[in-house]
Formats: sequence, C-alpha cells, structure tokens
Amino acid sequence: MVVKKDDDESELVFENLEKGQVIQEKRAFNETPVHPRKCSLVISQFLYLLSRGDTFTTTEATEIFFAATKLFQSKDIPLRRLMWLLLKEFSLLSQDAIIVISSLTKDMTNPMSLYRANAIRILCKITDSFILPQIDRYFKQSIVEKDPHVASSALVSSIHLLKVSPEIVKRWVNEVQEAVNNKSNMVQYHAIALLHRIKQHDRLAVTKAVSTLIKGSIRSPYSQAYLIRCAVEVIEETNTEDPVFYDYINSCLRSKNEMVAYEAARSICALKNSSKKEITSAVSVLQNFLGSSKSTLKFAAVRTLNKLAQTNPAAVIPCNVDMESLITDSNRSIATLAITTLLKIGNESNVERLIKQIANFLDDINDEFKIVVVEAVTLLSQKFPKKYKHLILFLNKILRDEGTLQLKQSTLDAILTVVNNIPESKEIALTELCDFIEDCEFPDLSVQILHLLGQEGPLTSQPSQYIRYIYNRVLLDSGIIRAAAVNSIAKFGLLYEPMKEKVIILLGRCLLDEDDEVRDRATLYLQLLKQNNTRELTRLLVDDVPVPLVNLQKSLEHYINDGDFGQAFDLGSVSTVIESMPSPILEGKSSKQTSQSGGVTPKSLSTESNDGAPESYSTKLAQIPEFSTFGKLLKSSEIVELTENETEYVVNCVKHIFKEHIVFQFNCTNTLNYQRLENVSVKMIPSNPKSVKYECSIPIEILNFDEIQSCFVAIRYHPDNLPLCNFKNTLKFRTKEIDPSTGEPDDQGYDDQYSIEELEVSVKDFIQRTFVTNWKEEFAKLPEQEPATFALVSVKNLNDAVKQMISTLGMAPAEKSETVVPKSNKHQLFLSGKSLSTGALILARARMILDQSGLNTDVELTVKSDDQNLIDLILSSF
Amino acid sequence: MMKFIDSILNFFKSLFWKQEMELTLVGLQGSGKTTLVNVISYGGFVEDTIPTIGFNMKKVTKGNVTIKLWDIGGQPRFRGMWERYCRGVNAIVYVVDSADREKFEQSKTALLELINKPPLAKIPLLVLANKNDLAGSASADEIIQLLDLKSIQGREVCCYSISAKNSVNIDITLDWLIKHSSSVNH
Repeated sequence: MVVKKDDDESELVFENLEKGQVIQEKRAFNETPVHPRKCSLVISQFLYLLSRGDTFTTTEATEIFFAATKLFQSKDIPLRRLMWLLLKEFSLLSQDAIIVISSLTKDMTNPMSLYRANAIRILCKITDSFILPQIDRYFKQSIVEKDPHVASSALVSSIHLLKVSPEIVKRWVNEVQEAVNNKSNMVQYHAIALLHRIKQHDRLAVTKAVSTLIKGSIRSPYSQAYLIRCAVEVIEETNTEDPVFYDYINSCLRSKNEMVAYEAARSICALKNSSKKEITSAVSVLQNFLGSSKSTLKFAAVRTLNKLAQTNPAAVIPCNVDMESLITDSNRSIATLAITTLLKIGNESNVERLIKQIANFLDDINDEFKIVVVEAVTLLSQKFPKKYKHLILFLNKILRDEGTLQLKQSTLDAILTVVNNIPESKEIALTELCDFIEDCEFPDLSVQILHLLGQEGPLTSQPSQYIRYIYNRVLLDSGIIRAAAVNSIAKFGLLYEPMKEKVIILLGRCLLDEDDEVRDRATLYLQLLKQNNTRELTRLLVDDVPVPLVNLQKSLEHYINDGDFGQAFDLGSVSTVIESMPSPILEGKSSKQTSQSGGVTPKSLSTESNDGAPESYSTKLAQIPEFSTFGKLLKSSEIVELTENETEYVVNCVKHIFKEHIVFQFNCTNTLNYQRLENVSVKMIPSNPKSVKYECSIPIEILNFDEIQSCFVAIRYHPDNLPLCNFKNTLKFRTKEIDPSTGEPDDQGYDDQYSIEELEVSVKDFIQRTFVTNWKEEFAKLPEQEPATFALVSVKNLNDAVKQMISTLGMAPAEKSETVVPKSNKHQLFLSGKSLSTGALILARARMILDQSGLNTDVELTVKSDDQNLIDLILSSF
Repeated sequence: MMKFIDSILNFFKSLFWKQEMELTLVGLQGSGKTTLVNVISYGGFVEDTIPTIGFNMKKVTKGNVTIKLWDIGGQPRFRGMWERYCRGVNAIVYVVDSADREKFEQSKTALLELINKPPLAKIPLLVLANKNDLAGSASADEIIQLLDLKSIQGREVCCYSISAKNSVNIDITLDWLIKHSSSVNH
C-alpha cells in the first residue's frame, strides 16, 4: 500500500518507485520526436532503482539498454549525459552491449569534449580484447588531449582496460608519458597511476620511471602522494641504496600540502630502514597534525603514531603531551587511539591515571575499539607487572559490562595472559572471575573460567573461598557448565588435601544429577578420590593431552575403524605434527590465530598449525606407487621454509621418515603470473654422500601461477647408520612465458634453475615425541649416564634456552617443565621421546643456568636410554 | 488537371507541415549501407568505410522532410538486433550487394527471417540492389526473382537497382522514401 505523505515529507520523490512501472515508462525513449524532459526523468528513475539495489533480469536490462540507444538521435545535452550514464550502468547487465560501439566512436569524433569523455568511459566497459584493437586509436588520441576531462577519462579507462587487454594498453606508454606533462593536476595524477600500473611487473622499469618522475616537476599533491607510495614500493622491493628515493620522501615531508606531508611521514614510519633522524622529523610533522582543527588529520596522525608505537615506542614519546589532550577529544575514535598509543609508550607513573581516564569514556566506544583497548592493556601488563591490580580490575569492568561474546572472549584471554605472566595477580583475578560467573550469559566463558579456577584455585593461599562459587554453578547452571564445575571441584580434592573430605561430600551430591555427563564425571572422580588413587586422578585432571586434538581424533577414528581391539590404543602412536598441506598465504593468518588463542588453550608445543583441512600425509604418500614399498610412515617433520615468502618461487619442505627411506616433499608455489613451470624437480646434494642412496625423484608436471604442488625426492638409508647431514638444494624446471591475451604458454620455454636454502637431516628427525606419565620415576629406572655440559652461546634468557632445547631434540617436555619461573636464573627441563626405528625410550634432563656474564646459558644435559648408540647421536647434536 | 491541383496542394502543405520519417537500413555486411547513408547525407562517396560495430544514427533533411536513418551493422552477431530497430519505422530499407551472387541465398534468408516477425507486419520494404556499377551485377528484375520478392504478402515492396558510389538512382530512391513518409504516419 502506498502511503500518501505530507508535502514537506516528500523530499524523496522516488521513494515509492516500482521497478515494473518504470520499465513500462521506457517507451518514452521510442517516441518521435524525443521529449528530453520526459526521457530524463525516466532515466533518473532507472538510475535511482539501480542505486537503491533493485536488480534487473538480463532480459529487462537488455530491453532498457536497447530502448535507451534510441536516444543517440537527441542532441539535448542534459539528456545525452543521462543517457550515457544509463548505458554505462546497464552495459554490464545487458546482452549485446557492443551495439553502441559504432555510435560511441562517432561521439568520439564530436567536437564537444563532453561527448568524447563520456563515450570513452562507456567504451571502456564494453570493449573486449577483440574490439579494442579496432578503437585503440581513439584511446591514444584522447590520452594526449589537452582537455582534462577527456584525457582523464581515457587514462582512468585505460587502467580498467589493463585487466582486459594489457598488451594493447602497454603500447600506449608514449602517450601516457606525454599526459604526465599535462597542465591539469588530475590528468597528471591519473597518468602517473597508469604509467605505474603498466610497468608494474617490471621492477627495473618501475625504478627507472619513478626516479625520472621524482626528478621532474611533479606539482600536483595527488601525484606527489602517489609518487611517495611508488618510491616506498621501490625501496621495499629492490632494497635500493640510491638516496634519491629517500631524499624525495624527506623533501615531501616539508610540503605545504597536508596530504603530501602526511603521506611522507606515514611512509617513513612504515619503512624498515628509516634512520632515527628521519623518524624524528616524520614524528614532528605528525605532532603538528595532532594539534590541527581537522578531525581527519588528527585521526590519521594518531593512527600512524599508534602503529609506530608498536615497533618504536621511544620515537613517539615527544608527542605525549599532544596526545594527552586528545584523550578528551569529542571524536571517540581519535580518543581511543590516543589512549592506546599512550598506553603503549606509557611509563610506570601515569599508567594508573590513563586507565582511569579510559574507564571514564568506555561506555561511549563500540566493541571493536574496546578490543583494541583490551589488547593495549594486555601489552601493558607485560611492561609494568606491578600494576596488575589496576589492569585486572579494569579488564573485569569490561568483562562485566554489556558486550559481545567476541569482546568478552578477548577480555578473558587478556586476563588469562595477565594471570599466566604475573603470578601475583592470580588471587585477585580469581576472586573477580568468581563474581563474574555468578552472572555470566556465555556458557563458553563460564567453562573456561571454571577450568582456570580448578587449575589455579587449589594453589592459592585460601582455596576454600572458591569452592562455594564453583558449587553454585552445579546448583544453578546448564549441563555443560555443571560438568566443568564437577571437574573443577575434583581438582580441589586432588590438589588441596585439607579439602578432600568436603569435596567427597560435594561430589556425592552430584551423583543424582539429571545430566549423564555430570553424573559420570562425579562418579568417576568420587571413586578415585575414595580409593586415594592420586596417580590416575593426576593423569585425568591435571595433565594435558600431549598430542594435538585433531590428530588424536583421527587416530582414534582409525583405531575404531580397524576393529582390532586386541591391542590397546597407544597414545604414543599419535603424530605430534599437525598435518596439513601448507599454504604460504594461510600461514600468516594461522600464526596470528594461534597467538590469539594462546592465552586460553593449554599450549600444545607442537609445530605451527595450519587451518587448512588436515589431510593425512600417510594416506597421500601411500597413493604414490613409488613409495608404496617403503612401509609405514613413521614421522613427518614440521614444515621447513627453504625460501623467503616474497620470492618468485616459494618452496618449503616436509621430511617424511620411513624405516629405511626418507621422502622429501617439496611444496612449490609459482608466484609469477606470466610464467608456467614444467617438469619442476629439486636436485639435492648431500654433504655426506656415503650414508644415503638416491632412490627416486617425482617432478611436478605443470605448475601454473598461484598453484601449490609438491615434488618428491626419496633416499634410502641404513637404520644403523642414520644419514645425519646437510643437503644443498636446487630447484630445476622448464619455464614458459604465458601470453596474457590468450592465456596460452609459448611452445619453446627454456630450462632454468633456482637455488634454495640448505636442508638438514638431524637426529631429531628420528625421534618421536612421546608422553610418559611419570617422568621422574622412569628416569630413575634407566641406567645412569654421564652428563654432558656445554653452553648455548648468546642465549640470554631461560625461556629461549628451553625453546631451543626442545626444538633441537625434537622431544616432548614432561612435568610442565617447559614453563620457566619468571626472573629465576636456573631451570630444569625434562624431555621424553622414543627412537623411531627401535622404539627405545629416551629421557633427557637439561639443567640450565645463565652464566655470569648473562650472555650465554650453560647446560648440563643427561640423556638416558637403553640404546647407547642413540644417546651418543643426541649428544653429538650439540 | 487533378495532378496539377495536387502538386499545388502539396506545395502549400509543405510550407506548413514539416514532415518527419524514420528508416532502418539493414542487409548483409559489406552491402554498402553506411556508404549509402553517407551518400544521402553528404552527397559524397567515401572509399573504405570500416565495418559498423553496432549502429549509426543520422538525421538528414531533404526539402521539408527530416529523415532519421538507423544504419545497423550487417555482421551475423548484429542480425538478431535488426528487429529492435525496425519496429515502428516508416520503411525498412534492405540493401543487397548485387555483384556478390554467392550471398543472394544468405541475403534472402536473412530478409525473410526479419520481415516475418509479427511486429514488423505491413511496414513497407524497399530492396536496393547496390553496386550496379560493378561488372556482373544483377539487375533489379533478377534480384526480384532471386530473392523471391513477389511472394512477399501484406506490405508494399519495391526494388531498385542503384549505385551508391556513382549516385545512380539515388534520386528515385529518395522520392520513393519521401512518398512513404506520410503514408503510414497518417
């Protein structure tokens, strides 16, 4: 129903427009003679419908488009302009839009620049690589026209046409060069942008063009800003030492135009190799902007400073005062950024005050910015551990206020990080969280908090105060939370002896719970507690699963499918490597995700994870006939990068260990869109040729742009003589240029090679991480061994030392010994693993102490195993 | 005597009524449509016209008549679009290359397909056998026979042999067209 509105409300005349009705109106286009006003109104209505989001079927669009072509007869300028607009919009929806090409090329010869400029913009939409050669002269002519409207239209259209037919557009490069000298700022800007894109794939040409342009007289601010970006690109891609690029950016810093000066300052802050002096002057430009009356400038400046503060907080300190005045800025985005920047560069004395100030305006900002604040506060906790109390209270306030799950999860993660890093903060955080779960709307969060309470609560000074909160959950919450609460309660019984009796009573009350899971858990824990079976309880409640859950699930599924239950499931047989096909693009993303979730989940110390679908290596390899005789895949290593991520060909490697063979899987990516690689293989030269025998190599037949495929090399070794050596690797292939217009490769191609980094096969490749329940007992059981002592040179803190030991030995840490007590100067690390070939257990104890200079770490390593050979090999790896 | 009064009447009419007519030129590619349009509008022959991609629109004033000419490309991919530009015009002008005998059959098929479309019923059809300056070109009678024009029912059909290059018979063509400018409109 159409509601009739009052006159003063009917500002939107087209508001109640109906598509079907307007389509009827298009008959106006066919009338003779043409009524410009009537037609203009109808076109406006069509354009309105389009911008409103109405969709047209192809038939409708085609009808409209062809009807509108009748208007080419009109010489009425306003109508013509609307007609061009309509044709441009509908040319992509309609069929046979090429019908207007002839008429448009006629408009191209019209003396009025308006005709030419508009025609060229539609031509660019309709043209394909077959038609373009026929009308290419119109583009050339228009690019060099004096009239800015026409020249810009042609240049901008050419940028679009680069996608359609790059070869032809590249031929216009001389005309584009000429357009750079056009008097109009706009034309110059567009010409530079096109020039840059034409040369995009040729670094040398870009470098040359940019340095020529820099020396020329580029006056327009847009062009200058664009040139700065080009200069940055050149510096980053070529690592040039040529001062001309830096000088140009520095000179732009002094530009009177704010945009140019800002762009220069931003670039200097983002460049890796900027000198201290350059950064100082860039920061002072930004500092000026902080005091500007324009919000956009203030926002841009504070955002750039915020970014800079992450990598170089000291450089931002001069802006302290200016930013403090921005905290009260009416624009909340500016205020938030100012505060988080201040937090990053803040010092001990003003942290409290800042926190208070943020708390004041917290209600005014949206969740997204709150997450930014939370992240900043988390960072702060690492810098000023003494301020934990304020931080915890502040985070708790956010946790309790209204907010999305995402915000609350980030906040909880932040609290967990603080708790992990600052043991003193535990009690206050736990108390606050206890209050929070009393009234928490997100079960996910409640479960996580209950887990934390069970883990940390019993170890505090007054464990009894938490149990009431936890038991409240059993009484009041849903099944999943009750189950988590039961776990938590049982942990108190295990870890805090005085409460054991009370816990037994509480668990007894849970036996009649209506939820199966809750009942089962309560029964199990109750029995174990009554039997005083500490060992089993510890295994169930405290120890983490030593393998990635994905792999565990897979192995269990496999076990069940096999149907052979004669043998018990062996946890040690689960691979500790997260298997997946690597993707260089995904990797950046996934590593970020792991770091985000790091605070919540118990950290599995396995290799980097990937979120691609984990495809089992063993099934993949088994499908390759050459490898079918190798037997069972014993272990797959983590991914070893053999190239930088930005190189032409990205290669990484996974080592697959079999009983007597090693298969090297090289995952190759071709990042060049104008090349196709064929017959891709890797030639490996071992440093110790006697210990290995070449078996076979499987090349990649065809590797297209942006594709990841794997080639393989297999070698054979004798299990008694492990091939511990380095391999020099060369990527060999035949490369064929791709013709961009047809997408077909040329016939010839040529052979080429590309050196990639060395690959090491070390003793850890032959050790399987294993999990032992009671490490100390097992260690005592094995025969005594002489410890070896050595120093880890320039390892300045124990955390790094622990990481290095774990990664060198490829063994699993036991007894939670991978966490170092903060600020202590010595540490004991317990590791466990087993030999891939013999299955012999290997246990290692590393006593580490920082040496007196504080620059190195001394290690006393004791390795115990029944396999003496293995012990020697392990010790030899240091 | 009647003729004389008629012509005087027409003369007076022309003083007060500006007449307008709309024509669509179709035909296979290379038959000389664009050349013909140029000859009619500028009176001159231009060698080496590039193929029409889509259509050209021209307005020509002859005496008191303004003629709107829709000149549509003859390549196969445009033939489906002919009809859109033929609806409601005063006459359809179908141009045939009279020297290219191999294409007559194709030309006939394309013509029949076009004029059998219901929206185009009754619209007068003028078939022009262009390029009669070339050796071996078919005469008007031959064209009538070869294209089977006599079989076309329900509309006025006429055929002239012309040469756009040498401006042969362009005058009678225009006369015929102008005669039809009012016949349908009123």
